[in-house]
Amino acid sequence: MSKTALVVDDSPTMRQMVTFTLTSAGFTVVEAENGKDAVNKISGVPKMDLVVTDLNMPEMDGIALIKELRKLATFKFTPILMLTTESAVETKLEGKEAGATGWIVKPFNPEVLMKVIAKVLPS
Amino acid sequence: MSSEFGQFQDAFFEEAGEHLAIVEEGLLQLEQHPEDLDLLNKIFRSAHSIKGTSGMFGFNAVAQFTHKMETLLDLLRNGQKVVTPAIADLLLKSTDCLKILIEAAKQNSSVDDPTVQELTEELAAASSAENIQSGPSKSGHTAEPLSATTQEFTIQWTPPGWLFQRGLDPVQIIKELNQIGVLADVSVDVSKLPDLNEVDPERCYLSWSMRLGTNADRDDVESVFEFVKEDSTLTIEEVRGKELGVRSEGTSGADKASSALYPSPLTPDGSDNEPKPLGEILVESGVVSRQTLDNALSQQKRVGQILVDQKAATPQQVEQALQKQRQMEAVAQAKKTDNTSIRVDTAKIDKLINLVGELVITQSMLSDLGSRFEMTQLHVLLERMAQLERNTREIQERVMSIRMLPIGTAFSRFPRLVRDLSSKAGKKIQLVLSGEETELDKTVIESIGDPLTHLVRNSADHGLETPDERLDDNKPEMGTIRLNAFHEGGSICITVEDDGRGLNRDRILAKAVKQGLVAEGEKLSDDQIWPLIFKPGFSTAEKITDVSGRGVGMDVVKRNIEALGGTVSIKTVMGKGTTFTLKLPLTLAIIEGMTVRVGRETYIVPLLSILESIQPKPQSVKTVVGKGELINVRGTYLPMVRLYEVFTLEPEHTEPTKGILLILETEGERVAVMVDEILGQQQVVIKSMEQNFRKVEGIAGATILGDGTVGFILDVRGLLEIARQESAVVAA
Repeated sequence: MSKTALVVDDSPTMRQMVTFTLTSAGFTVVEAENGKDAVNKISGVPKMDLVVTDLNMPEMDGIALIKELRKLATFKFTPILMLTTESAVETKLEGKEAGATGWIVKPFNPEVLMKVIAKVLPS
Repeated sequence: MSSEFGQFQDAFFEEAGEHLAIVEEGLLQLEQHPEDLDLLNKIFRSAHSIKGTSGMFGFNAVAQFTHKMETLLDLLRNGQKVVTPAIADLLLKSTDCLKILIEAAKQNSSVDDPTVQELTEELAAASSAENIQSGPSKSGHTAEPLSATTQEFTIQWTPPGWLFQRGLDPVQIIKELNQIGVLADVSVDVSKLPDLNEVDPERCYLSWSMRLGTNADRDDVESVFEFVKEDSTLTIEEVRGKELGVRSEGTSGADKASSALYPSPLTPDGSDNEPKPLGEILVESGVVSRQTLDNALSQQKRVGQILVDQKAATPQQVEQALQKQRQMEAVAQAKKTDNTSIRVDTAKIDKLINLVGELVITQSMLSDLGSRFEMTQLHVLLERMAQLERNTREIQERVMSIRMLPIGTAFSRFPRLVRDLSSKAGKKIQLVLSGEETELDKTVIESIGDPLTHLVRNSADHGLETPDERLDDNKPEMGTIRLNAFHEGGSICITVEDDGRGLNRDRILAKAVKQGLVAEGEKLSDDQIWPLIFKPGFSTAEKITDVSGRGVGMDVVKRNIEALGGTVSIKTVMGKGTTFTLKLPLTLAIIEGMTVRVGRETYIVPLLSILESIQPKPQSVKTVVGKGELINVRGTYLPMVRLYEVFTLEPEHTEPTKGILLILETEGERVAVMVDEILGQQQVVIKSMEQNFRKVEGIAGATILGDGTVGFILDVRGLLEIARQESAVVAA
């Protein structure tokens, strides 16, 4: 059975690129355009293998989404990667406090993305 | 760069365009509401998006420039800086610059406009130097040592207790270590593990120690622990290298490691390899200064000039060649910028898919019925046919609606335009937009941008008075331009309204007489005078300004709108203001038509142009010398056209009193057209005559009728012309 991933980003282009990379690697992807959308889309979904989320988004940002996800039994231990352009320490700290597993610094290419995913996801 | 992502470039440019519009609109609003945090966040998000995504495609210039803008925006939204007019202005200019950069990225060219550098510096200056984070790290991957000797590390790692709660798995990390080298003596320290009844299953109580033999260097090993190292107690000691291990606690080298792991595409690796112009290299190596180079370049002669000097070519030939070059450039530009994709709301597509589903069901019901049809089931057949018709019509409407976009996209450029115009002309102008949500065909939206811009410029420059003049006239100092869009019947109306001085009847008339458009002493009604401003080369502006007044424009406006099958009308009151009304068809492909019969031929008359249909009394038909046949409709005489005469057909009736007269109107003029019979009303898809055959006077296009035959669509304007010509012939 293929692995499942939730991709959350308000930029359609960014979503497409992440989804493209993940589907090429055999993932089944659910896309959401912000935190709120993501929460709606995963309600009722049993479990997913991976979450990749942007931080800066309207409606509900990435940090809030991570906090929400960690409250759910199904997402308690799921690897969550945040997409970030800020190499700033605070953003990472904030994300980690919220429960993010790791981060990917934009810009990245497909190889880097898959490499980071391999770090957090048992193959 | 990552070529796999190349296929998403178009999507990026489209998205970037939307973000630019959001930034620009936001900045303009920000001038009115400098405190609006939501607005700032919105602008920031868009800039941030452009930066992030452009970097993905290796558009470094765009990414770096946007980063500078973003830095300033970040300070603004954090309240560390206040939005001043100067800052707003700088950001607006930067947005323009960003547009140029993105356009250049699209054309795959680079921008060497000095303003980019200037603005970059200004942005940097506006964001105070302290507490600004630096841009994405430029340090590349640390090169592997040439002498790749196998090294050995001893690693001791105590992960944080909440490791699992962040979705991290220690086993995964150890596995990764095993991938970059060979692990040995891996042991787990379980001494911290409490009694079983006290164990919190979500906490990690374990720590590990191990030996790692690897070709990788220390940074690579550290990067395995990237996501946990700040919170772990981690010791990595190099054994063979005799180097003391550094205790890695807290913030040690984390950022360095992360940037080393992810080589940033911002590293200039593509552009730098391209050969540079000689001058650039000389400047970089410090042989000459930038200024010296610029001076030298400005003295350099153009190829054309050299050829002329050597008498190898005449100036005319060079000029012609240059002209050709410009044309080719323009064509190339047009090809590149022609954007044919369209973004559709998924809801619209879902509905469409639903409808197609229904269509399939109807079709299968019909074929089921057809396979064992008996006359007693006729009513069922008719019912299903009606259903089919309903499905088809709905699908048609939905498909058409996919091409429909809110006109707001065409309006969005005006706040900026008016802002710039008002500062340039020294007038106070407010722009009021309404009806932005009105939907119309994408092609129409794209084509009305320029005409609307002309009209808005015209209103700002000619229509509105200076603040002093307005105060003298007891008007508010601030002039108003209103843009409104609304549906009216089958068309869309767009009005451009100003509360300025109104058109000057006498001045227009004087100018028209001077230009020979109107004979001296001729009496004209207002409605005849106003359209004169649409004549080519007509401008009554006393002085030509930067904004408008060169007499180009208004005729182009009229021509463009008419090319779309629309009309322009003017309403004006001296001293109160002027309103231009553009009336456009919703779509160019389908019209609502009335089918009529003449003899055995069927024609379609655009429903919008039909005012009424009458059967005249014998005494109301008159023939007047010089005017041809006229028909008296409630006291007004209209020219009459017998359709069978125009198309030389064998009619059923030759007497107007036996046939039917359709009263048609276009651009305020009316004509009566005589036909034999009105058949009904239907929607028709217009097929161009010019493209498939050639232009035929009095015919606007053709369509396929219900019975499969071709029907011609009447051109009301053409019929009016024919009526005029006939009267001229009769007069002669």
